[in-house]
Amino acid sequence: MRSQNRIKRSKGEWAFTIFNYLFFAALCIIMIYPFWHVIMSSLSSADATMKGGVFLWPKGFTLETYERVFKNPQIWSGYFTTIIVAVTGTVLGTLLTAMTAYALSKDAMPFAKALMVLVLFTMIFNGGMIPNYLLIKNMGLIDNRWALILPGLISAYNVIIMKTFFRSIPDSLEESAKIDGANEAYIFIKIILPLSKATIAAIALFTAVGYWNDYFSTVLYINVREKWALQAVLRFMLTQTTQALAAAGVNVVATTNMTAATIKAASVVVATVPILCVYPFVQKHFVKGVLIGGIKG
Amino acid sequence: MNVLQNGNAARRIKWLLREMFKYRWLYLLLLPGAVFFFVFKYMPIFGLRIAFMDYNQYDVSKSTWVGLAQFQRLFSRQSFNPVLFNTLKISMLKLLFGFPVPVILALLLNEMRSLAFKKTAQTLLYLPYFISWVIMAGIVMTLLDPTTGLITQFIKYLTGKDIMVLSNATYFVPMLVITDIYKGMGWGTIIYFASISGIDPQLYEATAIDGAGKLKQALHVTIPGILPTIIIMFIMNCGNILNAGFDQIFMLYSSTVYKVADIIDTYVYRMGIEKNDYAFSTAAGMFKSVVAFVLIAIVNQLAKKTGNEGIY
Repeated sequence: MRSQNRIKRSKGEWAFTIFNYLFFAALCIIMIYPFWHVIMSSLSSADATMKGGVFLWPKGFTLETYERVFKNPQIWSGYFTTIIVAVTGTVLGTLLTAMTAYALSKDAMPFAKALMVLVLFTMIFNGGMIPNYLLIKNMGLIDNRWALILPGLISAYNVIIMKTFFRSIPDSLEESAKIDGANEAYIFIKIILPLSKATIAAIALFTAVGYWNDYFSTVLYINVREKWALQAVLRFMLTQTTQALAAAGVNVVATTNMTAATIKAASVVVATVPILCVYPFVQKHFVKGVLIGGIKG
Repeated sequence: MNVLQNGNAARRIKWLLREMFKYRWLYLLLLPGAVFFFVFKYMPIFGLRIAFMDYNQYDVSKSTWVGLAQFQRLFSRQSFNPVLFNTLKISMLKLLFGFPVPVILALLLNEMRSLAFKKTAQTLLYLPYFISWVIMAGIVMTLLDPTTGLITQFIKYLTGKDIMVLSNATYFVPMLVITDIYKGMGWGTIIYFASISGIDPQLYEATAIDGAGKLKQALHVTIPGILPTIIIMFIMNCGNILNAGFDQIFMLYSSTVYKVADIIDTYVYRMGIEKNDYAFSTAAGMFKSVVAFVLIAIVNQLAKKTGNEGIY
C-alpha cells in the first residue's frame, strides 16, 4: 500500500508533503520559542534588554535577577505549599476517584445509574465562584491549606475515565475471587488496582497538574501570604511586581541590573522549569488520559 | 387488593435492602466520593439560593427572600450589558477562529509519514495545554512588554509605532483569541488525531482504487469519519459560550481594557469577592450557569435530531 502510494505520488502531492513538513517545523519553533525567549530574557541584564530585544541568546548575561528572585521568601513558601497541596491532593484525589469510579462501574448495584447521573450533572451545572467561596468560608477553611486541597479532589471527568477503564476489565477475574469468598473492597485493592496502574497514572498526572497550576483557590481562600501556592505567588510577582518585590525586601529602583521585565521572566522560569523537566517523561500518560476521556466525553 | 399491593411493596423493599446489603462493600468504597460530591458540588448548587435573597453575610438568619430582585438589578444595571456583550464577543471569536484549527492540524498531521516527526510535533503542540495561565500570562507579558518585549519591538520595527497590546483596547481582544488558540490547539489536535486513527483503513484503500487523491480522501473519508467527534467538541464549546476564559483574562487584563475585556466571571469576582456583594454576584454567576446548561441541552438535542450522537 505504502510503496504503491509512493510511486503514484504526483507533483502536487510532493509540493504538499514539503509544505506540510515545513509548516510543522515552523509550528514546532512557534511552540518552543516563547519558553526559550523567557529563559533568555531572565538571564539578560536590564540595560541590554532596554536597548534591543533579546532574540536567541541572553544580552549582558547576569544571574543577579535569579539571586533576587531566590531571596524572595515567598518563592520558597510557595513551593512548600504547592508541593504539600499537590502531593496530598493527588494521592487522596486519585484514590477517591478510583474508589468512586469502581463502585459506579457496577451497574447491578442499586442506585448506581442514578448516582452516576448525579455525578455527570456536576459537569454541566455548578454553583459557581461565590457559592463555592461561601461554602469554604462557612466551613471555616479560610487561610487553611485544606481549602486548596479538598475542592479539587475528584472531578466528574476523571470518574468517567476510570469508570470506562474498569468496565473493560473482564468480569471473570472478579468472579473467581468472589467464589473464593473475597469481598469487593478486597477485590478492588488486590485485583483491580494493580491492573489499572496505567490509567491511575494518567489520572494522578491530571490531578497533579491541576493542583500545580491552581492559583485561583489561593486568591479566593488564602489571605496569609506564607500559605500562598506557588502560582499565586507568581501571579503577584507578575501583576504587582514592584509591590511584590517591596514585600520581599527588594528595592527595584535601587538595583540597576534588572527591570520588572527581567524579574518577571525569572519568576516565570523558576515556576516553569519543574514542569518542563518532568513533561517529556510523563506526556505519554497525558495522551492516554486525553484519549480515554476525550473520545466520549 | 390493597393488602396485596402493600405486600408487594414490602417484598420489594425487602428485596432492595437485601440487594443493597449484598453490595455493602461497594457502598463503603463509594461513601467518601459521595460525601465529596454532596459537599463540594451539590452544596454550592444549593448555595445558589442566595441569588434570591437579600443576603446578610454577618447574620445569615437575617437574610430575607427577595424573589427575582437581584436579577432585575443585574439586567437594569448599566454595567452588566457590556459585560454580557464582551463575554459573547470574546467567546464567539475564539470559537470562530479557534474551532477549526485543531481539525486542520490533525488532518495535516495525519498526512505525515515520519513517525518521529509526528510524535515530536504532537508533544510540542500540546505542551502549553499543561502550563497554567499564570505562566502563560507571564510569557505573554514578557513578549509584549511595552519597552523590552520582543513582539512590541518587532511591531515598532514594522510600523514605527509603539503599540502596547496589553493596554490597548483595539488589540487586546485579538491577543486573547490568538493566545487562547495557542494554548488549546494541541489538546484538540490529539483528540481529532485519535479519532482519525480509528477510521477503517479499508475505506482509504477503496477510495484509492476508485482513483481518489489525498484531498478527495480527506473530504470524503476523513472528515465524515471524524464528524461525530467534531460534533461532540462543538456541543462542549457551545456549553462554554459564556465562559470567555476567566483565568486568561483575569491574569492579563487591567482597568484600561475593562471596557472590552470585562466578562461575566471577572465581573462576578469583582462584585462578589472584592465588593462583597454576594447575592448580586451569585445572581450574575447563576445566570451564566443556567444559560450554559440550557445551551448544552439544546445543542445536544439538535445533534441527536440530525442523527448524530450527543454527549448524553
